[in-house]
Amino acid sequence: MKAKKGIFLFGNYTLIIIVGLLFALPFLYTLYTSFVTMQDVNKIVGISHWTFSNYKTFFTNDAYNVPKWLLNTVIMTGIVIVGNLIINPMAAFALAKLDFAGKKLIYWIVVATMMVPYHMILIPVYVNVAHLGWLNSFAGLTVPFLYQCLYIFMLRQFFISVPNEFIEAARLDGLTKVGAFWRIVYPLAKSPLITMSILAFSGTWNSYLIPSTLTSDPAKYVLVVGLNSVKDMFFENTPLIMAGVVLTTIPILVFFFIFQKQYIEGVSSSGVKG
Amino acid sequence: MAAYENKVNRKKQSWIRTIVDSDFAVGWLFALPFLVLWVWWFLYPFLQSFIRSFQDANFASLDQAKFIGFQNYVNILKDHEFYRAVLHSLEIVVIAVPVQTILGLLMAILVNQKIKGKGIFRTVFFIPYITSQIAVTTVFMMLFKQGTFVTKFFGLFGFGNVTWYADTHYALLFVAILFIFQQCGFSMIVYLSALQEVPKDLYEAGQMDGASKWEQFRYITVPYVKPITFFVVSVSTILGFQIYDQIAAISRYGALGSPAGATNTVVTYFYQNGIRYMNIGYGSAAVVLFFFIIMIITFLQKKLLDDKE
Repeated sequence: MKAKKGIFLFGNYTLIIIVGLLFALPFLYTLYTSFVTMQDVNKIVGISHWTFSNYKTFFTNDAYNVPKWLLNTVIMTGIVIVGNLIINPMAAFALAKLDFAGKKLIYWIVVATMMVPYHMILIPVYVNVAHLGWLNSFAGLTVPFLYQCLYIFMLRQFFISVPNEFIEAARLDGLTKVGAFWRIVYPLAKSPLITMSILAFSGTWNSYLIPSTLTSDPAKYVLVVGLNSVKDMFFENTPLIMAGVVLTTIPILVFFFIFQKQYIEGVSSSGVKG
Repeated sequence: MAAYENKVNRKKQSWIRTIVDSDFAVGWLFALPFLVLWVWWFLYPFLQSFIRSFQDANFASLDQAKFIGFQNYVNILKDHEFYRAVLHSLEIVVIAVPVQTILGLLMAILVNQKIKGKGIFRTVFFIPYITSQIAVTTVFMMLFKQGTFVTKFFGLFGFGNVTWYADTHYALLFVAILFIFQQCGFSMIVYLSALQEVPKDLYEAGQMDGASKWEQFRYITVPYVKPITFFVVSVSTILGFQIYDQIAAISRYGALGSPAGATNTVVTYFYQNGIRYMNIGYGSAAVVLFFFIIMIITFLQKKLLDDKE
């Protein structure tokens, strides 16, 4: 009982530091190992033994070209986010603020789709993409993912909270409903749209299942798929693989540190609403 | 003449405007991009998954796919590998979900203390959640090799000094650890926002009544965050059943679920058959079974949740 009590003592640094080190350790190990040579793995060596050669390999070799994979990832993620920024809010606005026959059906579609795991449709999506000749192409990696029912649902909640007076005022000024949406309501949704973009960004950037299914050409790999192939090819070369982990992880970490506040708010609001 | 044309134009404009501005037209126009994509990239594949599951369909000769009734389902239910896969999926969830939930709550309490540097700790705890599963799995594969300081450390608690992901007894636990490591940051954030809403006077009242910190935790915090616990448990259960990346990473060039099928789950079972072996019919039947398992579990959790409330 006494030990348990200790855990909940406020102002106790010991436990938080232990858990913190436990969580930081894999990252520190990765960073350190990426700078040493193969002989020095799992040993502690001075800074004079450190080397950049592990990193250099990724920029000089065509077979596993990290800059190319980075570009592929940026393009894929960019297209998906732009699509989601247009398609989701339009549908969400229709569901929140317009009154039309068929609306209930569309709402039901959104809610039901949210509950189906993507695995359920992966095989037919793969077949469709292959039949369209879209394997190893950005079209295959992006077109099926330009919308996301979860985000339509989230944005609909927001649009419901926008007072109708805003739209009515816009209409008195001569705007159509289409105009009222794009010029007045859409800019108001800046904060939920940022949240959505952040969640879509990390989901797309880190996705492995779909890109690894739809691409087989190393020139078309995204970072995560490329990293996995590097790991398999050079499995015994720990420092090289660790440099690969660092390179492929840096962009999402930079992104996280820029948007940390909105990111955490987005994640916690998804929990509160759930 | 000019004035007349103007009038006609304006009339035409307002006529178009009335249509374009009606809720019906704008509503469907706005929902259209979503609906087109949804029909082609969700509804059609969704139905295909069911239809193909009743066919003997191979990727190379899909035109010649023929209806074979429930044969795929019968074959799957006769395959003892499938039961092993279901068991493995359940094992991952049973191990990982409680651990990551408790750890998430503990970490939330830790970073909710009034201490310096708690923002740094919050970031450290949350970062695994935002890094890719492949990156984390790669690092852990290097850490959990035979003879490293990590396996030696675990050896102190009675675990064998083995390469975890290559050992049939440890590989599944390894996958569960990976999932816990990444998922508890999410649970922490969700718990944290709930903890900040617990009224301070509840604790003050508890202190007045002489409740210890543990009693305050047990009788104030835990009941207060109960709805969040249900959310965290159901989200991580569903995600636990869907684990794929980690297993694909440790399987390397071998069949999914390596070593020797020790990490074969329902997901890798359908992926191996449907996509790697291109046996679309058989894989689809496995997916449909996967879908029903998820639905049953979601239903059971909902029922449990409703009963408790």
